[in-house]
Amino acid sequence: MTIDELAKGVQEGKRRHLAKAITLVESNREADQQTAQELISKVRSSKETIRVGISGVPGVGKSTFIEALGNLLIEEGLKVAVLAVDPSSPATGGSILGDKTRMETLSSKDEAFIRPSPTSGTLGGVAKRTRESMMLCEAAGYDVILVETVGVGQSEFEVASMVDCFLVLMLPGAGDSLQGIKRGIMEIIDILVINKADGDQEKMAKNAVTEYQNAFHLLTPKYDGIGVEFLTVSSIKKKRIDEAWEKIQGFISALKEKGIFEAQRKEQELNWFKRLVEDEVLRRLWGSETNKEKAAELVEQIKKGEITPVKAAYDFLSSEISR
Amino acid sequence: MSDNSSGKENWKKGVEKLLKGDKAESLNRQSPEGFEIQALYDSEDVSNRNVDPGYPGEFPFTRGPYSSMYTQRPWTIRQYAGFSTAEESNKFYRQALEKGQKGLSVAFDLATHRGYDSDHPRVVGDVGKAGVAIDSVEDMKILFDGIPLDKMSVSMTMNGAVIPIMAAYIVAAEEQGVSTEQLSGTIQNDILKEFMVRNTYIYPPQESMRLVSDIIEYTSEKMPRFNSISISGYHMQEAGADSALELAFTLADGLEYVKTAVESGLDVDAFAPRLSFFFAIGMNFLMEVSKLRAARTLWAELMKEHFEPKNQKSLMLRTHCQTSGWSLTAQDPLNNVVRTTIEAMAAVLGGTQSLHTNSYDEAISLPTETSSRIARNTQTIIQEETDITHTVDPLGGSYAIESMTHDLKEKAKTIINEVMEMGGMAKAIEEGYPKQKIEEAAAIKQAGIDKGDITIVGVNKYVNEKEDPVDILDIDNTGVRDGQVDLIDEIKAKRDKVATKEALLAITEAARSGEGNILDLAVEATRKRATVGEISTALEQAWGRHTATNQTIKGVYESVYKSDKGYQEIKSKIDAFSEEEGRRPRILVVKMGQDGHDRGAKVVATAFADMGFDVDVGPLFSTPDEAAKQAIENDVHVIGVSTLAAGHKTLIPDLVKILKKEEAGDIIIVAGGVIPVQDYDFLYEAGVSAIFGPGTNIPKAASKVIDEIRAQKA
Ligand code: B12
Ligand SMILES: Nc1nc2c(ncn2[C@@H]2O[C@H](COP(=O)(O)OP(=O)(O)OP(=O)(O)O)[C@@H](O)[C@H]2O)c(=O)[nH]1
Ligand SMILES: [Mg+2]
Repeated sequence: MTIDELAKGVQEGKRRHLAKAITLVESNREADQQTAQELISKVRSSKETIRVGISGVPGVGKSTFIEALGNLLIEEGLKVAVLAVDPSSPATGGSILGDKTRMETLSSKDEAFIRPSPTSGTLGGVAKRTRESMMLCEAAGYDVILVETVGVGQSEFEVASMVDCFLVLMLPGAGDSLQGIKRGIMEIIDILVINKADGDQEKMAKNAVTEYQNAFHLLTPKYDGIGVEFLTVSSIKKKRIDEAWEKIQGFISALKEKGIFEAQRKEQELNWFKRLVEDEVLRRLWGSETNKEKAAELVEQIKKGEITPVKAAYDFLSSEISR
Repeated sequence: MSDNSSGKENWKKGVEKLLKGDKAESLNRQSPEGFEIQALYDSEDVSNRNVDPGYPGEFPFTRGPYSSMYTQRPWTIRQYAGFSTAEESNKFYRQALEKGQKGLSVAFDLATHRGYDSDHPRVVGDVGKAGVAIDSVEDMKILFDGIPLDKMSVSMTMNGAVIPIMAAYIVAAEEQGVSTEQLSGTIQNDILKEFMVRNTYIYPPQESMRLVSDIIEYTSEKMPRFNSISISGYHMQEAGADSALELAFTLADGLEYVKTAVESGLDVDAFAPRLSFFFAIGMNFLMEVSKLRAARTLWAELMKEHFEPKNQKSLMLRTHCQTSGWSLTAQDPLNNVVRTTIEAMAAVLGGTQSLHTNSYDEAISLPTETSSRIARNTQTIIQEETDITHTVDPLGGSYAIESMTHDLKEKAKTIINEVMEMGGMAKAIEEGYPKQKIEEAAAIKQAGIDKGDITIVGVNKYVNEKEDPVDILDIDNTGVRDGQVDLIDEIKAKRDKVATKEALLAITEAARSGEGNILDLAVEATRKRATVGEISTALEQAWGRHTATNQTIKGVYESVYKSDKGYQEIKSKIDAFSEEEGRRPRILVVKMGQDGHDRGAKVVATAFADMGFDVDVGPLFSTPDEAAKQAIENDVHVIGVSTLAAGHKTLIPDLVKILKKEEAGDIIIVAGGVIPVQDYDFLYEAGVSAIFGPGTNIPKAASKVIDEIRAQKA
């Protein structure tokens, strides 16, 4: 398939082409990377879309929530793309990806495109591939992009930095989880959803909302005049999923009204540009053979106490700042 | 004691001399169950364990539930069978009964198991294939035509669609002139293990438990000679469980059912005597004999402790057994006669009440007339040509058997306690605990076989170079389906539509409200000619269909295999591929149709991931459309279809067609599972690149798959 054929297929919304394009973006081969950039510039669209990040601890019900939400969106006439990112790169071997088994109905619908991605050993990490895959999905005509990621490592922050709305799922039983909540996460949440509010956990979930509300009260809001939204749902029983969607839409409209929406997307791109430059500089810095040698030499000297770390750093930088 | 110990010391010295310096203890082995199998047991081992096996027919029934056991009447030869249409199966049953079989055991097809009528679009590949197709009471009447249901004990393996099938059986009998009081037999009705390993569930767990307890209630009132449930460990062992896991999870399931029935208001003695059990008997002869003895002992103790029944019969574990199909090979299949004989002996020496022996073509297809005859005769020979039935519990008092019975019982108790701490079996299943344990055991076993640590004659040792193909039973599933569809149409045209509809609505209503006995209502609807699928749907309308949470494990297979050189070579080959290709080889392991055999798919998936593939696992029960869509979106190199229930000739060509239509004809298809060699050419022509049958060495298969991807790219 030529790049033009691929681009055309993506723009026509062909599943096969979109899938191949994502593979290209995800590829570790340098040559593929260049082709991928070409492709992305060809297909860039200005379509109005909503990008939602969905995060939470393993087993909190992200996939089940997406199954419920996605089906609802399709009923409303929207096309939904789901990118499931698994940042836990296995110590050895490949990944085993079972997310779609929890999105059984959604994954069989024509209006849905679901792509789980292993991340073991990819260039640029979670953020790069997901951001570009997201653009491809938009070019292929999907209206809402849902990005599922487990709250592990930096992946949540990376996902939060590429979506319009960042939604975190929590389990009922707030007292315990409040302490377990990762540093910095509270600051990036737009909507907090307590899942599994069914059976004997329903009441506990309600109490959790109150506790979270109190805890969030003390924070400075992420945006002026737009507070964090809270609600309880049962993804499995499909309860209050419609409310979750209303909250997402409400949040997006608020961003738009205040003129934040577009500005934020622009800013995300600029940050992304900076990040890329920094990553690339670092990669080249540590990747070049002469630099590796020089660094190794200096490390030895530091170990032996022949040179101070600061001096070594200056020596290193003045000897070789690669192209 | 001192005499004994000097005897033991002498024995040890003797052994150590033979071992030329190694300790006698070095001959002891660790069993997969997690306790030590001693090279020698003596009276001290028995007395240290405080074992007193007592007498048969007496608490705790270690030596048998009945005092006379086989000396009075041997176990019941009960062969599990069913295929194609009710007519065909009926013919087969009648022949078997003439030839020495004593009870019937019905195998339903997978469409029926999952509550679909034969005309449902999701079951095109399944109708009549792996069991008999039953859509309505009319089929059920044909199934038992000429078989007097007041005299014949009938066992039915049905769990998911248990309500319409029980109802069809009851109404078929009624129309034969037989009342419910006269019916004898067993309904499996064990839904918990479906969520764990057998996979023919329909509704969510809680709702399903309501059905179990409605059936217990109904039978305890109206069917005094009928076993309301068959609490099954068999399927757990076949899915990979060792004897301790099988024993523990089965008894824990049993406790959960008793608890549910008691909570619904029944007196324990009103139903506990009608609980029956079902175990698998594999090749570990001594362990399996011990398992049945341990099961009886432990059940009696547990029931006494938890429910304090007044009737002794409530403490008594009666069981059916089946020899292990998993232990049988597609290679050199006549070896399977020997295996089955050994397993049958273990079942009998363990004191089973009834037995199914497998056919030698088990790993190839459904049994033929010849292979079923040999299977049945395996039992008639033991019963009538040997002296095994002349003495009750002939192994009782054996130092080894008594010690192992004790050790296994203790091990199982520990596991049951863990389950209790989780809040009982229903909770444990919800958390996926037993399933995970079983899948880990299966992966370890597979790695042991692939590596050659575990011998399977004809598969990884003493291989027969030139195999002759065996005759197979092939079912024309399109033919069966067409016939069934006609019959359904006829029934629907003739019945009183309004009355049927009302009866079905009553079922949905009862499901919603929690009031009334659903089996009672289903019997009424069946009299009005509602079909199996319609009754299932009536319940589904209230409760929905359950979808399983697919768990995956990683690293277990490799943990056994790591040190192996060949294994490392395959890993390097895969890594090299990934380097070149810019990503890991990606495979979708998929199950299509209603085939719920997922042991192979799970083992292959986890092993492939360990070796370096990125593996997508599809949900159970996919249609070819869904499988194709997932493969395309995930942009896999390969689709690996795992197929065991004979849907391959319908489903795989469909998949190929859809892929082509979606411009994805370059995705490679490989197939694995129970596929008779007679079908290989058909599949190759349809577009399958490679076929991996039972006994496949997984690293070799992985290597072959990489070659296929390379060849495709070239
Ligand atoms: C275990 C088993 C069960 C277990 C399944 C547990 C589970 N969760 O999987 C239980 C007891 C529940 C069961 C039930 C039934 N079973 Co069953 N079962 C078997 C049995 C004995 C072994 C299968 C197995 O797991 N082997 C071990 C695994 C590791 O091997 P495997 O799947 O073959 O996989 C290997 C290769 O084939 C290959 N491979 C397989 N897939 C793939 C995929 C890829 C990508 C690759 C590379 C390789 C590969 O590699 C693997 C490793 O070596 C077979 C007979 C046999 N000996 O094969 C019958 C068998 C499959 N069952 C059969 C039947 C009929 C049933 C029932 C439908 C009976 C009924 N009417 O109720 C039920 C219903 C189950 C359901 N929901 O579908 C029939 C099918 C008949 C047919 N094909 O015509 C068989 C063939 C027995 C027989 N001869 O009658 N069964
Ligand atoms: N009771 C209840 N269980 C739920 C609900 N949502 C999800 N679950 C269950 O929680 C388990 C995990 O659900 P998933 O959707 O796979 O969770 P996840 O967060 O995507 O998990 P990972 O992808 O593994 O991180 C499954 O067993 C679900 O059935 C809910 O609303 N109520
Ligand atoms: Mg998930």
